[in-house]
Amino acid sequence: MSVFDLLLEYIKEGKIQLNKEVHKMAVAYHDPCNYGRKSLKAFGQAYFEEGREITKACCDDFRELYPNRKGAYCCGAGGGAWAMPFSAERVFYGRIKARQISESGAQLVIAPCHNCRDQLMKSLNKEYDLNIEVKYIWELVADSLIMPNKQ
Amino acid sequence: MMYEFKVSDLAEEFGVHRNTIRNWINAGTLSAKEGPGRKYLMKFHDYQKLCEKFGREPHVGPANNVSPKALGALEVTDVAPMEINGLKSQIALDPAWADSCMTCGTCASACPISGVDGLDPRKIVRMAVLGMDEELVASNWPWKCTMCGKCEESCPANIQIIALMRKIRGLRKRALVPGPIHKGVSMCLERGNNLGIPKDDFVFLCEDLGQELAEDCCPGFKTPIDVHGARVLVTVNSKEPFGEPDDMKWWWKIFYAAGESFTISSENWEGVNWGLFSGDDEAMKTVVGRIVDNMRRLNCKVLLLPE
Repeated sequence: MSVFDLLLEYIKEGKIQLNKEVHKMAVAYHDPCNYGRKSLKAFGQAYFEEGREITKACCDDFRELYPNRKGAYCCGAGGGAWAMPFSAERVFYGRIKARQISESGAQLVIAPCHNCRDQLMKSLNKEYDLNIEVKYIWELVADSLIMPNKQ
Repeated sequence: MMYEFKVSDLAEEFGVHRNTIRNWINAGTLSAKEGPGRKYLMKFHDYQKLCEKFGREPHVGPANNVSPKALGALEVTDVAPMEINGLKSQIALDPAWADSCMTCGTCASACPISGVDGLDPRKIVRMAVLGMDEELVASNWPWKCTMCGKCEESCPANIQIIALMRKIRGLRKRALVPGPIHKGVSMCLERGNNLGIPKDDFVFLCEDLGQELAEDCCPGFKTPIDVHGARVLVTVNSKEPFGEPDDMKWWWKIFYAAGESFTISSENWEGVNWGLFSGDDEAMKTVVGRIVDNMRRLNCKVLLLPE
């Protein structure tokens, strides 16, 4: 099961309650290559809408990055590039993503992938002075949770 | 640059018999080789030298592939033409790519690192169909590529550029794989996770974090390690227990709120499969197999790979 399927199951079946007041800022969703384009090629199914649905369940001010979905640009750290010793190329690669983010006006960017999150949060944010917050999609959900009363 | 000629044309141009030209070629005084359609090819440099010897102007026509700009001084820096040796490429997945790739360059336009090291996806595909395997395997470009698939998505001829890139990576000697990718793969095969975290340390850390979570916002929470019959088996990205342990709590908090029954295996819990990036199919299979074993051993229904 993908992270999207499980989170959506909890949201749709009412197993978790979310508070939209926690994230009032402008929020953009980043399409990871592996959950989108590449998943479509490999398994015939892409996760484009699921991540958006989950993000919108947590925040009201939702922004798109253009182009997105099948045409989305890679963060620049995929395919193991985050661990590779070619950091100048990796940052250069990410210039398009950085431009998309600053054009969207988002203050928070949601990344459903470990690689993308690290590149956006630890590299592009500093290299391109984006001044953004970056969260995993499950981090967004966890931070929005209304905790049930149980002991 | 090559000069293409017919024996009869060259004979007429230099006022000698056709057989004279053939004799020159056979004797090696005129270094030329057979080309397509009963034509011969020689280096333009050699043609210029021949003209100089006979006191003639080099002949430039639309058919001989030479621009007037090239005329003038003898080209001393003539780059040796690449010999196509007819060997089948181990890298080009389909020989038909030589035709089906129209070299339109759409892939190169889509790629964010076109031009880095003077390469782009179009050139990589062309190098593969030309059998330039050694050059490709030695190049770092396929490792700077993030295999994002923009090129393949835009390709009108459906060339499998990503599979090609991964194939190139896979053919590099393992000791020469850049960065820690291959070291991680070996470590994972040997000790069950990419960073070699010992079982006891991992279990202790998880239990400790679980206690913190219970005190913080989830009363009664205990990290479920090796719980048989849990619904969800969760794998872990080794960078979290290694460097960002608190990040593991987000999922646990969600599971707690949703009343989910989940578990983490005490062994072979790694969710990151670096064989995918290093082009190592065998290692990839082994690591996936271990996760399948964990699913069977713990009798779980759902596998979650939050990677």
